[in-house]
Amino acid sequence: MSTEKKLQVKDLTISFRTVNGKLQAVRDINFDLYKGETLAIVGESGSGKSATSKTILGISANNTIVEGGEILYDGKDLLKISEEDFHAIRGDKIAMVFQDPLSSLNPIMRVGKQLTEAMLLKNKANRRECRKKLNTSLKHMSASMVGAGLAEDKALFETFRRIIKTEAKYEGPYDTAHTNAAAALKACDDMLLAIEKDALTDVKGDCRELKNYCNGAIDHFVVRDGEKMKSLTAQLMKQCGEAVHAKSCKGLTPVVTELRSLVEEALACEAPDFFALACYLVLDGKTLGNETAAELNKLTSPSLTGPFMTKFMDSARAALEYSSRKSVEGMKAAMAALSEAESYFGGEMPAEAEAKKKAAALADTVEAAIDPLETVKESSAYTFRVSFSSALDTYYKGVSGNVTEQARFDKQTAKYEAAVAKGKTPNGKVAPLALVDLDIARESISHILVTLKDQFAARTEAVAKFDFGKRSATYVSWLHETALGEIHRITRSMAKDTAIRIMEQVGISEARKRYHQYPFEFSGGMRQRIVIAISLTADPDILICDEPTTALDVTIQAQILELINNLKRERDLSVIFITHDLGVVANMADRIAVMYAGKIVEYGTAEDVFYHPAHPYTWALLASIPDLNSKDKLEAIPGTPPNMIYPPVGDAFAARNKYALQIDFEEQPPMFQISDTHYAATWLLHPNAPHVEMPEIVKERIARMSKLGGENNG
Amino acid sequence: MANENEVLLRVENLCQYFRLDANSVNKAVDNVSFDIKKGEVFGLVGESGCGKTTTGRSIIKLYDITSGSVWFKGQRICAGTKSYKDAIAAARKEKRSCKDPARLAELDAVIADQKAQMKAAQSDHKHADRKLINEIQMIFQDPIASLDPRMTVRDIIAEGLVIKGIKDKEYIDNKVFEMLETVGLVREHASRYPHEFSGGQRQRIGVARSLVMEPSLVIADEPISALDVSIRAQIINLLNDLRNELGITILFIAHDLSVVKYFSDRIGVMYFGKMVELADSDELFRHPLHPYTRSLLSAIPQPDPNYEKNRKRIVYNPIADHDYRTSQPSFREVCPGHFVLCNDEELAAYRKIVEAD
Repeated sequence: MSTEKKLQVKDLTISFRTVNGKLQAVRDINFDLYKGETLAIVGESGSGKSATSKTILGISANNTIVEGGEILYDGKDLLKISEEDFHAIRGDKIAMVFQDPLSSLNPIMRVGKQLTEAMLLKNKANRRECRKKLNTSLKHMSASMVGAGLAEDKALFETFRRIIKTEAKYEGPYDTAHTNAAAALKACDDMLLAIEKDALTDVKGDCRELKNYCNGAIDHFVVRDGEKMKSLTAQLMKQCGEAVHAKSCKGLTPVVTELRSLVEEALACEAPDFFALACYLVLDGKTLGNETAAELNKLTSPSLTGPFMTKFMDSARAALEYSSRKSVEGMKAAMAALSEAESYFGGEMPAEAEAKKKAAALADTVEAAIDPLETVKESSAYTFRVSFSSALDTYYKGVSGNVTEQARFDKQTAKYEAAVAKGKTPNGKVAPLALVDLDIARESISHILVTLKDQFAARTEAVAKFDFGKRSATYVSWLHETALGEIHRITRSMAKDTAIRIMEQVGISEARKRYHQYPFEFSGGMRQRIVIAISLTADPDILICDEPTTALDVTIQAQILELINNLKRERDLSVIFITHDLGVVANMADRIAVMYAGKIVEYGTAEDVFYHPAHPYTWALLASIPDLNSKDKLEAIPGTPPNMIYPPVGDAFAARNKYALQIDFEEQPPMFQISDTHYAATWLLHPNAPHVEMPEIVKERIARMSKLGGENNG
Repeated sequence: MANENEVLLRVENLCQYFRLDANSVNKAVDNVSFDIKKGEVFGLVGESGCGKTTTGRSIIKLYDITSGSVWFKGQRICAGTKSYKDAIAAARKEKRSCKDPARLAELDAVIADQKAQMKAAQSDHKHADRKLINEIQMIFQDPIASLDPRMTVRDIIAEGLVIKGIKDKEYIDNKVFEMLETVGLVREHASRYPHEFSGGQRQRIGVARSLVMEPSLVIADEPISALDVSIRAQIINLLNDLRNELGITILFIAHDLSVVKYFSDRIGVMYFGKMVELADSDELFRHPLHPYTRSLLSAIPQPDPNYEKNRKRIVYNPIADHDYRTSQPSFREVCPGHFVLCNDEELAAYRKIVEAD
């Protein structure tokens, strides 16, 4: 399992303002999303799953109050950044598949346009961003090199850029041609099968499509014999005309078979190493002859270890070492400043203006300690300025606001009571007293300081153990990726091809025709697939799926889940999968968070939750799924979830829980740790609790499952 | 179930076409036949757009069917005319080119016969006994969309009775209260509005509304798809109890096979408007014969990570899986009570599979 955290949610609390009062949708939840993993959030409607995901995406409704917590992504706290900064993240880095396909498609735009729009816009923005990133990191690198005692070498970076540009020049067409070749192979297979079974319906359309794919596969490294391919496709079209005339497709077989062998041969070829190729072309000043990819790879590989690359790696290493050293010094200074600030804010709170001045100075010190050459921004130093000043704001607003709020409440209550005393029915109710708890506000201030200090301490120790050789290699490959991102350009026709491919991937037949249709021409399931296709075109880092398959039937559901799984593997995507169906989750999830009434009641890996469930709510969920192998009466969960305007004092599930203890009604259970990865919030896990067995039906099922699993594995 | 073999509903060669434009029709339901016996639960599964909901709606006469007939309690309640028209047109065409006088007379007789049958069908369709149709009721998929937000629960449940012509308020009230209690709600709920209820309770109101007409057949059109898992179990248990206590026959339309398996006695699998397999639910899961059924069964997700990681989904590809060049498929009985859409060759193969076990 990966250890890089993509997204961290800490102590998130969300409420909704409603006519009847404040509804507590999410209460103090914590989870981490790791790179390339799927986190499933399971719970009933109203348990706060959608509220969480919408807040992560920054699209929560107007009446939402985010009361506290942090959502950390790429060194930013998503709760605190401006709307403009969010534009760069939403839909691009974090994409969402919505629950209701009807309301998330534009009814007056053709589907094709909705699919390509994001791709084109994103490509433009991405190139701009990559350029910016590359420029700043090269600038920092060059500054660090000077600091490390090396001469500033502009030419070094210029050559590097030229290499990358050359690489992109060859790699882009190769990718397109390669995907076309793969599509052509599939089209050939389909066609041969259809000819054999005499079930070809649209001969002309299929032939034209095959021709397009085949001609698109012509490239220096894919189908090398362009002349032969062109003559073959011309022959195909001629045969196609005859086939339509004769109403028999038999004549097509030889030419399609020949096309297939040509394409198959091309696909079997080795892919060239484009970076090495570019080094070879740029550094050694060679030109590309008629070599095959395999030959080229042998020719070009020495360039990778040539003097330029060695020099480049060495300077990168020196720069990284220097910058880390400098950052460690900065962190030491910042730690001292933080300790000082802790005692400063720990005692009597200073006046507001003074405190803010102090906070700004502190933030400067902290930011100076950030290593500019860091690629993974996994530290609260990045969010320190915003989060600290907002914590201060909460405190000082509370100091003055509490007085006015108390006055308002007293005045209204007096008025209300006077009216009642006179025997009248007063208009409306008195809004409840909403005071800021100053103690909690101060606690959060000191909490921010302490966490950062701890992080810095851990970091300074970690830096001492860094392997800079390895780090510089990853850094250079990161630079390489960013530079490719700057150069990679998507044209309109490329976008169309991608869109159609993705439409086919999500199981839409006749994608070329459907590309030009409007959303109302699609059925519900089809619309949902379009929505999924749209979110996939953006190629996001994190995909949030909010009940994407609830409205679909099993076969389509299986397809969509497979699709998401494949994409996850291919693109190292992190997925947050929200659902109420545990059956779906078993297939997808690496980790599962079971939510009930705004809290995470159980959190663990899929195996933990399915084979060793610990919370009664998880038992109940498992027991209420109909089983293929038994006809026992299902154990429905009695009653309905509690009204979260008046959240229960104790465990929210206690009222529906037949295993509830007395303490469940009085006090909320803390998260008990069961194993390294498995947590559950139930008093049953307390050492003093009576031993309770999970229900028979669940136990039986788990026993059966482990037997089955053993058979499958053995 | 005393009279186990009494057929309550018989659907014969039901076709429901929708005209798309001048030259093309959408064959939503194409030549579907099945029987539902009294007291059983008949499950209808298939992917979205395969015509299972259309079948349900055609039975209850929400559409005028294109061809075929539906018999309920021995009476024909729906009938379509397309098959007769086609037969007449074919006969007329033949007549134009035919010279043999004996054959001509034969054809005339065919035309007259078909015309008479068509007339009977039209008359049956038009004058179907309304009281009888009242005995078929429907539970809709979406409990939120299918309840009028401006009507109280009492009005919603009583609406059918009022339309039926009952004016006695006390009788209606009693009936409504009785129904509320049957489905696990309480009397006090009668004066409330739908938005005051949770999803499961709303679906219970939908069930109460259909039960108040004392139906002998309930068409449940995906009654649990829109509900949460914990509430799903409540509704399934409720329907199960009702069926055991009141002996109601249910046509259960759903796409969730594990629920259908749990709940139904017999299952019909539909694919693109055609019934491809029909069998007892246990038999269907033991010997899924048609490749589409197999792909459907292989797609059911299970709450078991190990199983899921090893599960191989079978993909159904109609072109690759069948060879219908020489003989066309039809709906045939492979073993008693187990029907599959297949041709001769496949039938033999399927029989072998069943016998092998």
